[in-house]
Amino acid sequence: MQAIEALFPAHNYTLLAFIVLLPLLGAAVNGVFGKRLGKEAVSLLALSVMGIAFALAVVTFFALGHAQEGDEAARFFWKGWEWFRLTRSDGSSIMLNVGFSVDALNGTMALVVTGVGFLIHLYSVSYMAEDPGFHRFLTYLNLFIFSMLVLILGDSLPVLFVGWEGVGLCSYLLIGFWFDDDKNAAAGKKAFVTNRIGDFGLLVAMGLLLYFCGGLDWSTLDSNARGLLTPLQVWPLGTHVPAASLLPQGAEAWLNTPRYVSAATLVGLALFLGCAGKSAQLPLYVWLPDAMAGPTPVSALIHAATMVTAGVYLLCRLSFVMVLSPAAMATVAVTGALTAMFAASIAFAQQDIKKVLAYSTVSQLGYMFLGVGVGAFTAGFFHVITHAFFKACMFLGAGSVIHAMHARIHDTDASQDMRNMGGLRKYMPITFWTFTAAWAAIVGFPLTSGFFSKDEILLRAYTSFIKTPMKTLSDGGGGTMEVFSWPPWLGTALYAIGIVTALMTAFYMTRLYIGTFFGEFRGWKIVKNWKEPEHAHGHDDHGHHHHDPSVPLEGPVPHESPWQMWVPLAVLGFLAAFAGWLNAPLFHIETMHHWLEPVFEKASHSVELIEGAEHLEFVFLGAAIAAFLGGTGAAYFIYVMQKGKPAQSFAEAMPGLHALVVDKWRIDEIYEEYVIGAVDSLAEFFAWADKWIVDFLLARVTAFLVSTSGTVLRFLQTGRVQTYAAVMVVGLGVVGWFFVTPRAEAKVDANDESGVYSLTAAEGLGYSYRWDLNNDGKWDGDKGDFGDKTQQSLNLAVKENRTVRLEVKNAFGRTAVRTFNFERPAPDRSGLTSRLDGDTAPVRRAADLRQAPKPQEVK
Amino acid sequence: MNSLGYFVEQYVMLAGALFTLGCVGFLVRRNVLVQLMSIELMLNAVNLMLVAFNRQHLNDLNGQVFAFFIIAVAAAEVAVGLAIVLAFYRLKSSVQSDEADQLRH
Amino acid sequence: MTVGNVFFLVASVVALFGACMTIASRSPIRSAVGLLITIVGIAALFLMLNAQFLAAIQLIVYAGAVVVLFVFVIMLLGPDAGDGEGTIARARLARYGAGAFFVLLALAGAHLVSRSELTAHRFKVAPAGHGSVEGVGTLLFNTMVIPFELATALLIVAVVGAIAVARSKPHVRRESKSASPTARMFHGPLMARDAQRPLPTKAERAAKAAGGVG
Repeated sequence: MQAIEALFPAHNYTLLAFIVLLPLLGAAVNGVFGKRLGKEAVSLLALSVMGIAFALAVVTFFALGHAQEGDEAARFFWKGWEWFRLTRSDGSSIMLNVGFSVDALNGTMALVVTGVGFLIHLYSVSYMAEDPGFHRFLTYLNLFIFSMLVLILGDSLPVLFVGWEGVGLCSYLLIGFWFDDDKNAAAGKKAFVTNRIGDFGLLVAMGLLLYFCGGLDWSTLDSNARGLLTPLQVWPLGTHVPAASLLPQGAEAWLNTPRYVSAATLVGLALFLGCAGKSAQLPLYVWLPDAMAGPTPVSALIHAATMVTAGVYLLCRLSFVMVLSPAAMATVAVTGALTAMFAASIAFAQQDIKKVLAYSTVSQLGYMFLGVGVGAFTAGFFHVITHAFFKACMFLGAGSVIHAMHARIHDTDASQDMRNMGGLRKYMPITFWTFTAAWAAIVGFPLTSGFFSKDEILLRAYTSFIKTPMKTLSDGGGGTMEVFSWPPWLGTALYAIGIVTALMTAFYMTRLYIGTFFGEFRGWKIVKNWKEPEHAHGHDDHGHHHHDPSVPLEGPVPHESPWQMWVPLAVLGFLAAFAGWLNAPLFHIETMHHWLEPVFEKASHSVELIEGAEHLEFVFLGAAIAAFLGGTGAAYFIYVMQKGKPAQSFAEAMPGLHALVVDKWRIDEIYEEYVIGAVDSLAEFFAWADKWIVDFLLARVTAFLVSTSGTVLRFLQTGRVQTYAAVMVVGLGVVGWFFVTPRAEAKVDANDESGVYSLTAAEGLGYSYRWDLNNDGKWDGDKGDFGDKTQQSLNLAVKENRTVRLEVKNAFGRTAVRTFNFERPAPDRSGLTSRLDGDTAPVRRAADLRQAPKPQEVK
Repeated sequence: MNSLGYFVEQYVMLAGALFTLGCVGFLVRRNVLVQLMSIELMLNAVNLMLVAFNRQHLNDLNGQVFAFFIIAVAAAEVAVGLAIVLAFYRLKSSVQSDEADQLRH
Repeated sequence: MTVGNVFFLVASVVALFGACMTIASRSPIRSAVGLLITIVGIAALFLMLNAQFLAAIQLIVYAGAVVVLFVFVIMLLGPDAGDGEGTIARARLARYGAGAFFVLLALAGAHLVSRSELTAHRFKVAPAGHGSVEGVGTLLFNTMVIPFELATALLIVAVVGAIAVARSKPHVRRESKSASPTARMFHGPLMARDAQRPLPTKAERAAKAAGGVG
């Protein structure tokens, strides 16, 4: 330990660079040379890279543990290099660096990412062994781990964003891994585009944070977060709504009252939008079920354990920013709860095993956001970890099952359909037992990891809320707003949704469990004795293998998977069962809580528990166990004892509702119709504009005009000298006219301060001048004669104005007149600022506006 | 009547009239030879004006020398111009300036 | 009414009459004679303006060389020198319009000048030798010697140029109908379109005019 501390001091912890860059190295080598290296070398490289990264993460974890004694959070930094420097107008600059840092929060997450990642790499080596794109798969997996590590180990929001985009990219690449099938490619595209909508939110949040806090790395944000407590006027934009004067008086006043939102709320909502995209919350969850088109290890790694939890990580990392806005936190909690329930309702009717797991993931992510939204950061984060274990275990188990089924049924859809499974516990015991452990965790079987984490979230949903930082906020210029305060009924409502969802989760997961592993194997309706044909269990043809259901399909007996597949299952199953003991408040074990406490210390000042929270623990424990028993019991009753008849009769009794749930509430169709339809209409409009305005008006019409004028003008080119001479004569006339007319011009030399204005008339051939200087309408001089005086000057008093006229006569006797107006303005004693006439607003300097307004506490 | 021929303005007016006649002849007539003669008329008008102004400003004889050179240049120009007329005639068998529209669009 | 007045009157009338004859005659030879008359009139006016040398030069060069040159060319051209009877007058409106416009301009200018407040300037007495051969000669060979020499060069150039332009083409040894326009430039019409449209012969033109007119 001393050696580690000596080699890698806290402010220059180079191990971080190794952890992050090793997977990148693996990806690079595998990507470039993978085809030549062969399967063994590629898998060895990928696995060893992951293994070493995991080992280093373990070392870092222990080093952190050693460094963190007491309440001070330990943090190791590694500054990479300066990315760019933004300079403000007053000369100070903001540095955005590429750097990494690790503390308790992301040290733990790095362990999970690299550990689970290693296990899934091992799994993939066997799962994808027959696939011709094997090296490409492992390259993408390594690249994904690299991006994920950049995301969680980044020291500032821009670096996190790089990782954020990187995982989005890898998700796209991996979902559409078998891109020959359009469906898979479309799923990958959908994931990426939906993610991008969320990324817009993250970028807006970055901009706001940069403006109000003056920096984007965690330490700067930590110290300057208070700067977000200013109200921003969001309506009306400007001073008033332009057309409001047409409305009646009352409506106009209502429309024009300024509405404020605090900057913290805007940041919180924008950040949550990013998380909604990345972590599949309402309304941007639609990509995750489609993402099941990718290979199962991808679903396990990305869409269960790591990428989708990046949103939760972001909110935990920026906890001290989020708690400044109770409104945003309430939105997070409510959205999380609603997503949980919504996704659970869809999972009720799905037949595809991976789709059930996908909706289950969305639902559990809702739980995590519920936990984070009420201020239980540790509980939410703990659920991230436990969910990683049990969901990855379930996905890998599902993959094992699908692997076995696929050997029988060379049809992607049918091999995942639960109606073709059943009774597999006889054939695949290891998969069965590990899946049981994971199932127990997710339904909340007492003393499993899922039980502890979900229980704590539900308890905190009821008891915990966010304190209002101050009652009113005001900026320096007169805008004030009341800060949102946490409604007292919200805790109850969230808890109600949460417990109902727990019940639903228990139900549908048990349905899945029973349908897959218990009963009779339904895949026999397919011939029992079967001989292996020429090609082995190839995953080569993941094409459209949709067999006619009446034709019997063939395949061997489902068998257990190779060791590379069941060892990860075993490890994850063990963790799913027993990792809960890391944080069991019931038994007063709060290891995780103590470990993460320094990270959330600042945020925890704003989190409060309602009165009497301590006594509710056992009540809620009972409620959680009741939900577990109720859900599993109901599923057991319906699917084992009644063999699924109540479900069928329900489907027959309410066919409309049933169809709606099976169709995932037709959300995708709504989006297709309204959102994508709107974009399509916009695109059509632009296509029309391009065709008729740009191509026709701007290109063809202008060309036509030019060519027509050319045709017209060409008639002047007769080639005959007489024509040209005629044109010259006309020009001669014009020139002659120009010379014959006189022009009255004078150069004015105005001196406002002394009041002396002098005019110098322009000279010309044979010109004579006469003036009218004293504004009386008559020409000066005895008889108003034309003379030779070209220079005149006049003195004006302050604020006096005068009109001067000049008349010029040339040798031909033609005259011209010009009038000049002079006004001597009052002297400008305002000093520093210049202003337009009539401007009486107080002078507001730009520098004043830049200072952060001081929030005023009003008791 | 007693002042005819002793005022420079009269010569200027006469020269202007001659110039106008020459210009009108150039613009109106189609025959290239007549056009050339009209050019000669214009040159003569200019010469007259130059000499008249020289008679008014008696410091030196610059006006007359200028007119002398104009005569020389006019002679050269007529020579070359008539050569061009001959070449043109060889091409088009006509001396109508209407025919000389090779540079027409 | 002194001799000078009468002389001026006669000379100016003669010049104007000659100018009118030049521009208005149908036959070019008449125009040439009109030019001659104008030149003689101008020479007389030069005499009136104390420009004796110039008057002589005018008569020698203009009347004796330029007009003769015109007459030679008219003779060479033969009957074709006159206004073509067969050709159609084109752009009559533009030509007469331009002429009328110029006359208008001249009248307007005269009007402007007459309305201005300029005073008339009478000639003063000219010193002796003003405009004499010695006077002009001195100027020519002292101050103006460079333009004088350059005028000489100009005349040489003009002679050479006239010969080069007016020379009849040498007898073509071979009638090569070259395809390239560059070669054709030396052998025939300048533009390809003229090669395809051979000029109508005199008889054809006469027939066309007779058919068009009649």
